[in-house]
Amino acid sequence: MDEVIVEYIRRTVLKIPRDEIMAVLQKWGFLSEAQLQTINFRQTKEGISHSVAQLCEESSADLKQAALLDIIYNHIYPNKRVWSVYHMNKTGEETDFFDFRDFKKKFRRQIQSALINVTINFREYEDNAIWIRIAWGTPYTKPNQYKTSYVVYHSQTPYVFISASVLRSNLPLLCQAMVVASNYHDIHEMELRSHCLNSLKDIVFKRYSQNFQTNYPLQERNVLTENVDLRINDENRSEKERIYRLNQESFGNGPQPKLDFAQYKLETMFKSDPKWDVLEKKEPFRCLVKFSSPHLLESLKSLAPAGLADAPLSPLLTCIPQKARNYFKIREKKSLHPGSFVSP
Amino acid sequence: MEEERNSDEKENALCGRSLTAASRDGGGRMPAAPLAQGKVERGKVYSGDGVLGYLEMLEAQAHELGLKQEEKEQQEKKLDRLKARVQELRARRDELRAKVELQEKRLLDKEGVMTDPAQPSAQTVLEWKVKSLKAMLQVFYLTGISGKLTKQGVCFCISTAYEGTYLDSYYVDLLIKPLVKIQRHSVPVFIPLEQIAKKYLQTDIRRFLSVLSDHLNAYVGRRRQADQLEEHFSDHIDGTLQRNSLCNLLVFNYTVSSNSKTFPFNVRLLYGDLCCSLPTEAIISCTPGTLPLLAEMAAAHSNAFRHMALHKAFDSLINAKESQN
Repeated sequence: MDEVIVEYIRRTVLKIPRDEIMAVLQKWGFLSEAQLQTINFRQTKEGISHSVAQLCEESSADLKQAALLDIIYNHIYPNKRVWSVYHMNKTGEETDFFDFRDFKKKFRRQIQSALINVTINFREYEDNAIWIRIAWGTPYTKPNQYKTSYVVYHSQTPYVFISASVLRSNLPLLCQAMVVASNYHDIHEMELRSHCLNSLKDIVFKRYSQNFQTNYPLQERNVLTENVDLRINDENRSEKERIYRLNQESFGNGPQPKLDFAQYKLETMFKSDPKWDVLEKKEPFRCLVKFSSPHLLESLKSLAPAGLADAPLSPLLTCIPQKARNYFKIREKKSLHPGSFVSP
Repeated sequence: MEEERNSDEKENALCGRSLTAASRDGGGRMPAAPLAQGKVERGKVYSGDGVLGYLEMLEAQAHELGLKQEEKEQQEKKLDRLKARVQELRARRDELRAKVELQEKRLLDKEGVMTDPAQPSAQTVLEWKVKSLKAMLQVFYLTGISGKLTKQGVCFCISTAYEGTYLDSYYVDLLIKPLVKIQRHSVPVFIPLEQIAKKYLQTDIRRFLSVLSDHLNAYVGRRRQADQLEEHFSDHIDGTLQRNSLCNLLVFNYTVSSNSKTFPFNVRLLYGDLCCSLPTEAIISCTPGTLPLLAEMAAAHSNAFRHMALHKAFDSLINAKESQN
């Protein structure tokens, strides 16, 4: 068992960028400062991982420590995983005193009542976020530490961020445990996914810049008048100002949450002159449009000022943070023309 | 001038001599004619040391006169200096006057070119009005709830404060056309906004805002107290302060010493009223069991936690402990 744990720690260390291994190990706090000093950080990563493994073997690291290192790694590099947001519902209105201890107890009990072979670890962070790592086994096999699910939950909120394991069959059990432990009644997946966990949080917790109108603008800034060469006379000044204003109305002033893609599934009827006899069937016309970018919302924001799209952009594109979803299904009823958002 | 003065001096000298002569003769003031006669008589009377004495007297008089003359000369000089200064200042005054006049003229010219003479005053009045309106808005902001009309409704800003410190501001953008509806907001998810809206939004917006503001202020207040406790008393707390998002349950441990023994206290503060920043329940549990003194102390501490801001209560308890020691 020890060998397995040490090997797991070694492989976790291998995933960390070389320059940051020291910092992560310090955060972990399992190895003492004196032990860390003995490691030669100038050798290859392979070499470093072996020396860390050896030290862990000497200090007889257990599964809990290994899991903690994995949580720390995932907390520092959450973008390595794909996170999906789930929404929970409640029927009552009673205020609840969320207690982390009770939550842990209930969560563990709920999962272990159905499956004994699981490893569950918790860690609470300063922003009231609870990180849960679950390694799944089967009734007859030990938990697989390499195929873990991660859950990030902020107490007393209806949102859960889940990065599911490849073993998706355990997802219902996980959701069930979440609902019970946090005193909710049901849970469903929202159509919102991204690599950037913090941006998902910003979207559902309404922390992104929403451009509220107030009497006290925090910064009265006009981008158009910045860096203007007095010798240049702008012909399209009013048009540019209009675009800038409209763009600001739909995106606000601040930085946008980071999303990787937005997907639109069309299920609309093909409309044509009956005489042409094209597609007589009443089957919907199916098509899928996917916008992807390393930073989707920022790129959408810069479309109109760059002159690549008309301002204002289609609400289908600008409603992403507002509706907290990046998967859309467009059906006939809504009578939205596909052209309206394929313009870029 | 010079000549005049010299003649004056001569006269003075003459008078002085005649006066002394007159007094010595014991008579009243004599006419100038008998002077020569008197002189001769005096010479007769004081022959011998009389001449020397007379000379001495003359010397003293000359000295005196010299002093006076010097004084007078100095005064004259001073007068000249002052007169020159007056001249100088007058010239300066005229110069400045001219400058002011010129400037006034220039200003008038400018305004005359730009607008009618009546308009600038109207503009200043407008500016003044804008200024006072802005001050009004600032006052509204300071009250905690302020709003701005938007195209389809109103955008309210609820600014929170605790113990005189302004903290976060939250926004609620309302649509008012068919029905009052929340379009967007930045209220934290764990604040029961939906429930509050269901209760009051359609019927009483004022009430809705005040209840929401109470919730937000209480939340911010609880959070602030917990932050302050962590900030100032982290070395008195064993482990960490545990809290949830709403900060309506705070759990922490500290040690109490009594009779040179220390006992760990575990505190659970429950804030049952979400519109209140003071706990409704403060449960203190101590492991060693039921020492009556300890139970009494726990009750006193619990009472302090329920009636005072967390960091203040803790501060007073610590101070009480230290003074006991």
